[in-house]
Amino acid sequence: MQRLYTIIRLFKEYVVLTLLLLISIVLLSLNDNRQLHAVRSYTVAFLGVFQDAISVFPNIFELKRENQLLRQLNVSLSDEVSRLRASRLENMRLRGLLGMKEQSRLPLVAADVIGKSMYLLRNTITLDIGEANGVKPDMPIISESGLVGKVVAVSSHYAIGQILLNKDFRASAKVLRNSIDGIVGWNGGDLIRLRNIAKKQDVREGDLVVTSDYSNIFPRNIKIGTISRITERPGSLMKEVDVTPAVEFATLEQVFVVLTTPGAERTALEQKSSGGN
Amino acid sequence: MSRYFLIAVVSIVLIVIQTTVVSLISLEGITPDVLAIWVVYLALREGQMRGTVIGFAVGLVFDLATGSFIGLSALTKTICGFMAGYFYDENKTKLILGSYRFLLIMMMSSFVHNVLYFILFTRGTEIGLLGAVFQFGFTTTLYTSALALIPLFVYSRTSGA
Repeated sequence: MQRLYTIIRLFKEYVVLTLLLLISIVLLSLNDNRQLHAVRSYTVAFLGVFQDAISVFPNIFELKRENQLLRQLNVSLSDEVSRLRASRLENMRLRGLLGMKEQSRLPLVAADVIGKSMYLLRNTITLDIGEANGVKPDMPIISESGLVGKVVAVSSHYAIGQILLNKDFRASAKVLRNSIDGIVGWNGGDLIRLRNIAKKQDVREGDLVVTSDYSNIFPRNIKIGTISRITERPGSLMKEVDVTPAVEFATLEQVFVVLTTPGAERTALEQKSSGGN
Repeated sequence: MSRYFLIAVVSIVLIVIQTTVVSLISLEGITPDVLAIWVVYLALREGQMRGTVIGFAVGLVFDLATGSFIGLSALTKTICGFMAGYFYDENKTKLILGSYRFLLIMMMSSFVHNVLYFILFTRGTEIGLLGAVFQFGFTTTLYTSALALIPLFVYSRTSGA
């Protein structure tokens, strides 16, 4: 025993290193643990206060680019608004002819982006709303341009959102033109990738990608982005379809959280079904 | 006791700075790692054991603050603190912290930290091993080392090293 103690004392730095590395690895394997979520919400609340105070300062390198983008966005939005007005009138007339009801609007709550953690590829945003505003984990986040991401952690007055350009983000999507389904996820760069698209399927550059009806989290037909690159590799049955996100994350300042949570009954049934397979 | 309290306070302040102010100076998505600089500095000032423990604690709080991959920063910053602490010399602390040696140790520890971090983090994405090492690991190390010049100059001026 004395000898063991001597050895530990002699190599105490290595013993501590091994111990801490083991704890880190255990934590990595416990990422979806409920207790960890609770601890995380306290940290979000604590840091949210500071991020809120600092959010008034812009990124000096992004300011010029942001101005330019906002001007472009303004022009295209004005154009889109006039077209949408005409479409809405036509839609109302046609719905009236078919006797269909007006589609229900999404319950939205506006939020300011008070922090962006683009550090070490974490790619999350902090919002200035939380549980007190009805926000819960897994609620979708959108902006006027399209899908931003989803809420992953909440405290009373703050929430952390996982954006499209996050390693863990996935969403059911479809090509709007012909309803070809796939799953979007980050490709590691500035683009997202539409996966599960077979070579024989008709997708083209410029096609609009939106959220599909199959998603349990995201409302359907929210714009995700536009197909900007299609690569076909020999020996693969699938195409590599890269999508440019509709949202410019570098200049994102205001978003909306959709106050809908995944249907518990549907989630339970799907989990049960996938577990049984 | 007060020294440890001060270390804890400064660590928390730096975590807040890292998650708020530092993203304002990001370049093409690359941000410097203020926390790695702090961990290396403490490891060289306090020794290998404390550097390792502080690296773990700082990394863990940061993981909790950013909301994903809890344990990854803890793991990599533990190694960062351990590596930097290897160069700890009780009698030459001022000399190391106030000279180019600090920068060299910083670069080496930061490189190992970043490479390990990005290799683990980018698994399951389209970013390959080379991308993780060079596109992210190497560039983040360079940016972090450039920022480490500030505490280096401040320390060398104030300590008279």
